[in-house]
Amino acid sequence: MKFLRNSNLAQAWLVLVLATFFGTALAGIQVKLSPVIEANKIRETMEKIPNLVLDASQASAIKTQDLIIQSRVIEVEKNGITKFYPVYDVQLKDGTLAGHVAKAKGQGYADKIEVLLGLDAKGSTITGLFILDQKETPGLGNRILEKPWRDQFVDKSSDAALVVVKSGTGQDNEIDGISGATISSRSVTNIVNTTIADIKPQLLPASKNENTKKLNGKIKEIE
Amino acid sequence: MADSPTAFERFVQGILPENPVYRQLLGLCPTLAVTNGMKPALTMACSVAFVLLCANIVISLIRNLLKPHLRIVVFTLTIATFVTIADRFLAAYLFQMSKTLGPYIPLIIVNCLIICRCEVCASKQSVFTAASDAIGQSIGFGLALSSIAAVREILGTGMFFGIRILPEAWPDWVIMVLPPGAFLTLGLLLGLVNWLGSIKSRRAS
Amino acid sequence: MIYLLDLMLIALTAALINNFVLYYFVGICPFVGVSRKVEMAFGMGLAVTFVISIAAFISWSITTMVLIPGAPLSSFIAGFFLPEESAAAIDLTILSYIVYIFAIASSVQFVEMYVRKFFPQLYSSFGVFLPLITTNCAILFACLTIMSHVVGVENPQDAWDLGRAITLAFFGGIGFTIAIVIMSGIREELELCDIPEPFQDAAITLIIGGILAIAFMGFTGVDSGIREALIP
Repeated sequence: MKFLRNSNLAQAWLVLVLATFFGTALAGIQVKLSPVIEANKIRETMEKIPNLVLDASQASAIKTQDLIIQSRVIEVEKNGITKFYPVYDVQLKDGTLAGHVAKAKGQGYADKIEVLLGLDAKGSTITGLFILDQKETPGLGNRILEKPWRDQFVDKSSDAALVVVKSGTGQDNEIDGISGATISSRSVTNIVNTTIADIKPQLLPASKNENTKKLNGKIKEIE
Repeated sequence: MADSPTAFERFVQGILPENPVYRQLLGLCPTLAVTNGMKPALTMACSVAFVLLCANIVISLIRNLLKPHLRIVVFTLTIATFVTIADRFLAAYLFQMSKTLGPYIPLIIVNCLIICRCEVCASKQSVFTAASDAIGQSIGFGLALSSIAAVREILGTGMFFGIRILPEAWPDWVIMVLPPGAFLTLGLLLGLVNWLGSIKSRRAS
Repeated sequence: MIYLLDLMLIALTAALINNFVLYYFVGICPFVGVSRKVEMAFGMGLAVTFVISIAAFISWSITTMVLIPGAPLSSFIAGFFLPEESAAAIDLTILSYIVYIFAIASSVQFVEMYVRKFFPQLYSSFGVFLPLITTNCAILFACLTIMSHVVGVENPQDAWDLGRAITLAFFGGIGFTIAIVIMSGIREELELCDIPEPFQDAAITLIIGGILAIAFMGFTGVDSGIREALIP
């Protein structure tokens, strides 16, 4: 019995040596690359934030480093389910609150749609919309990615729920649907509506919240 | 197959005569999944090339130490390690691309192409032959992927490498960049390659 | 209730809407290679469904117990050597691909031995396919999908539990079986057809696969419709 085990081990020595060798290599890779990957993930959201709360001319004048971006999580309990919204509060360098960006997820036509929604400091006007992730039909549904369509949301008031219409009559709370992709356009609008309804009551007491994290510091640390 | 092929023969065979996709029908999963654009297709081809080259070299270096019944374990371990390395590098330096390719990078582990080359070539022949075999096969794989991706991207979006080449009037054949387009394109191209091959062999005889 | 609905939608999505073969292109090799006869295709489908569920169970357990940062087992073991905080932060997810492929390989081995010993009849129907499916992408793909819903999830509540993981895997396997059995049925009929020689076998299979994929695209949006109708 002992002999057998010995011989099994002896036969597997190559596998063991290789496993040790590869394990060391992977540990090295992990130490070297995982900070970069983490930074990539944070930067993906961070890069979009200035354009979502500031208008284009302001955003191009300001570097991301000049903004103070803090992240926190807003919890909303609805029908027994708790929903979480990561929210980024954006302050200018002089400390004035420029606006908030919320990350929200919802069901689209094909799969989940993930958006970043920019609101002004009081949360009363939409300042920007960006689609982070979607798997809608190319050529139809994924036209929600196009800037002209997304820009319809900018400057809309957050008081009334937005509705998707086939041909606009010029009312304030109307969004023109994309022809051939009514469901996708309606999904995005729904996500925007729900997000606003959920987070608006909790937007304001931002500065005193304890679980805010300074993101700028984190990304600098990583780099 | 009495004499094992030389390094140069291995290299040439991989590109067309034994093309991994069109001739051997290996690695069909990435071939279909990531060919809706040239960029993801080429990234995939490069990742496969990296893994194949490294795995072939390592296996060839240790080929005399291999126990026959443990050989598959060693192959899998080697391949999985290099795939992890490739995956992390993509996530660190080509973040958007690694998000687009998603699970198809780790799925290289079960790409039959690599394990087949390790078995057929690397575990029997010298490092130099194994490396040239890997390069030849990778070029063949890259060619196959880019031929499918070119057809799908041009017909599906009117673009090539993301640059518009067909006139604006071109009605994009959206179906080509959707999953069915992958099956149809590969099926038709495979038929075409078979047809050209049969013409050639008829002429030779 | 909502949990059950969630499971149902995961099942529907995995089996029909985002069919493993026709939408994600995993498991194409057996789809082209082992789809000549309906019985063979059915056996293959059964074998895959069987193994995929077991592999999902193993990989979900290993991922949550060992691999992710703060996993109970790894932080317990590391707790002997390291201070508590750094023990809880141990991140072994870089090993996940290696762990999964070996989990799959060993579960295939185990299933083969077990079925051969205790269910000889079952073994005769799909036993021959078992060794083949270690390199079936569908199984690793299911493990990776489960991993993407467990590792690095922003909200802890979104992380999948074992029930969701196994539902996805099992119905993914069912979806694979549906696709490959339909394909083999069509191919049995094709034997009577006069197909141009270059298109015989693989080429015509892929083209039919394309048409099947178009048909399955008709399911797109069903899940969001159901969700909208049932969840207020």
